[in-house]
Amino acid sequence: MNSTRSHKAQKVLERMGKKLNRQIVGSFAACVHCGMCTDSCHYVLANPGDPTYAPAYKADKIRKLFKRHFDWTGRVIPWWVNAKSVYTDEELEELKDTVFGKCTNCRRCSINCPMGVDFATFNRMARGLLVSVGIMPEGVAVVSKDQWEIGNQMGVLKEDYIDTLEWLSEELVDEFGDPRAAIPIDKKNADIVYSINPREVKYDPRTISDAAKIFYLAGANWTMPSEGWDMTNFGLFSGDDDLGGAVARRLYEKVEELGGKKLVISECGHGYRSTRCEGQNWAQYDLNFEMESSVTTMLRYIHEGRIKVDKSSNTDPVTFHDSCNNARSCGLTEEPRELLNLVAEEFREMYPNRAENFCCTGGGGAMSMSEYTPRRLKSAKIKADQLAATGAKYVVTSCHNCVDGLSDLIKHYKLGMKVTQLVNLVAEALVVPEKETAVPVEEIPAAAAGPLDGYKILVVDDEPDFVSFASAILEDHGASVVNAFNGNEALEVARRESPDLITLDITMPGKDGKQVFESMRKDPQLKAIPVCIITGQPELRKLIYDRSVPPPNGYIDKPISEESLMRNVRKILEIKQKATK
Amino acid sequence: MAIFEHGDIKIEVDEDGFMQEPDQWNEEVAKALATTEEVHEMTDEHWKLVNYLRDYYKQFGIAPMIRKLCKETGFPLKKVYELFPSGPAKGACKVAGLAKPTGCV
Repeated sequence: MNSTRSHKAQKVLERMGKKLNRQIVGSFAACVHCGMCTDSCHYVLANPGDPTYAPAYKADKIRKLFKRHFDWTGRVIPWWVNAKSVYTDEELEELKDTVFGKCTNCRRCSINCPMGVDFATFNRMARGLLVSVGIMPEGVAVVSKDQWEIGNQMGVLKEDYIDTLEWLSEELVDEFGDPRAAIPIDKKNADIVYSINPREVKYDPRTISDAAKIFYLAGANWTMPSEGWDMTNFGLFSGDDDLGGAVARRLYEKVEELGGKKLVISECGHGYRSTRCEGQNWAQYDLNFEMESSVTTMLRYIHEGRIKVDKSSNTDPVTFHDSCNNARSCGLTEEPRELLNLVAEEFREMYPNRAENFCCTGGGGAMSMSEYTPRRLKSAKIKADQLAATGAKYVVTSCHNCVDGLSDLIKHYKLGMKVTQLVNLVAEALVVPEKETAVPVEEIPAAAAGPLDGYKILVVDDEPDFVSFASAILEDHGASVVNAFNGNEALEVARRESPDLITLDITMPGKDGKQVFESMRKDPQLKAIPVCIITGQPELRKLIYDRSVPPPNGYIDKPISEESLMRNVRKILEIKQKATK
Repeated sequence: MAIFEHGDIKIEVDEDGFMQEPDQWNEEVAKALATTEEVHEMTDEHWKLVNYLRDYYKQFGIAPMIRKLCKETGFPLKKVYELFPSGPAKGACKVAGLAKPTGCV
């Protein structure tokens, strides 16, 4: 016992011993300071000259305490293993700045560590230790208090929650002219109990209406609980396992009280991880029902034919942002992509993606800590570059936190993109049964032969097989096609033939597609001709969109199909036609 | 703590651009803040919404539920998003001089 140590510092050290488990001790012991983690962290990438952002550096601030107080090496040879203690409240404040303000617990360094060090896990533990002695950002304190005392993180009262659901029900009943479209509240023995993020009911209930439409058209036996409906959990962010357990328990107990068969969690990354993956441990609770993400539910309804969707309702190019908690911690990566391809015409992958995706920079509770916003936005540069490189109009994400994090950085970096969620796109694409009979009639004239009659298209690619394949499709639909097999030839043919559209490969010998594209955009004679990039290396997209010339008019990944090629070509030509009218 | 400046206006805001001292709010401040939220002109409808938010905030110390906002102003949800593209929590509350709403927003 050291008498010069502050009360808070003493408590932190005492409690640390109780939090140590195999995963955390293994992570403390295994780091060899190889530096692999540095390149994986979005904070480091935005602050290359500042070592205090490096995951290994941040980790050492916590590791030194473990070494000093819980590991024999630190007691015997403290100078050798860099073991140090903590004495003052100021030191704890410094630690707060690191664990809350320099890390979003996104776990990208964790999966890139060859030694298996899970920094984010013990960073969360350190947050919990500080919270236990009252040291935390104000935003975290306010939200945690609401979640403890009122039962949800935005302090929404029960009567306001129910009033909002009833309001949405009235509008749904009006829209469908069917009283069964209303949202059932506290229905017993339902197949699905639907839980949400409080921001949906407090500020933007369109996601609730959209989900309700989907459940209604699928004929689902579903309900929303009157209490225990908040599936978000600030315990995950604050490191407070007691709060985490209390919040999760509220949900679980409500589902059991209602006799629900499955708890469906709306699109929220940390909510999904907390409720489905971590909550049972925090709450020490054995469940007798299933849990799934609403993404899985929506996809199943389409597979089972319970809802029908028409992707032509969502024509703008979309990209998908993987939430850290969904992708890295829970493996929810393929379902959203499959669903997105079913409801949107043009999905463009972002690179890197899935478990390697970069954080939206609003994770780990960062959206509630205004004091760190400038740091957060600076570190968002890599995310902004990733988004811009897709050239997409919409970024879709299955996480409310990411919606806000991405909206902030899109505004900050002036990307002009919009953020939306899968539930919105699925609802937009829903085919309502009454209207279904009218659809095929309208589609017939559009599918008539020869829609490209009178159009001249230049196909540029160094692979002769591809050129013949694409040319055959375009000619079958009435276009006259000219070809070029390398960059210089492409420019020459384009000037000679003045085509209505050029399809352009990126990787070609000699002058490659990127240079050809830029030359075309800068050439007074060619700059107005629409260009559709067709490439087998979608990760090269950045090279096209980073250029200071107007972006291409379309972008297709190889292998192409007749459907994808024709859809893109027609869209580009229709737009061109409208512009010249 | 940060400073927001626009023309002659100079006010203290938090790092997300929300006012720190609600008493410094006036119509000129609101117009200046609106420029940061894609609102090009403050119409009567904008003022109606902003004034409701301020009244509610003065009374209860928090931002109202979107349900209350729509009910009391008579605006449908879609209209609220047309008036303030970044939504009621970020756009409208900021222009009305409210503190940043708590939680994941």
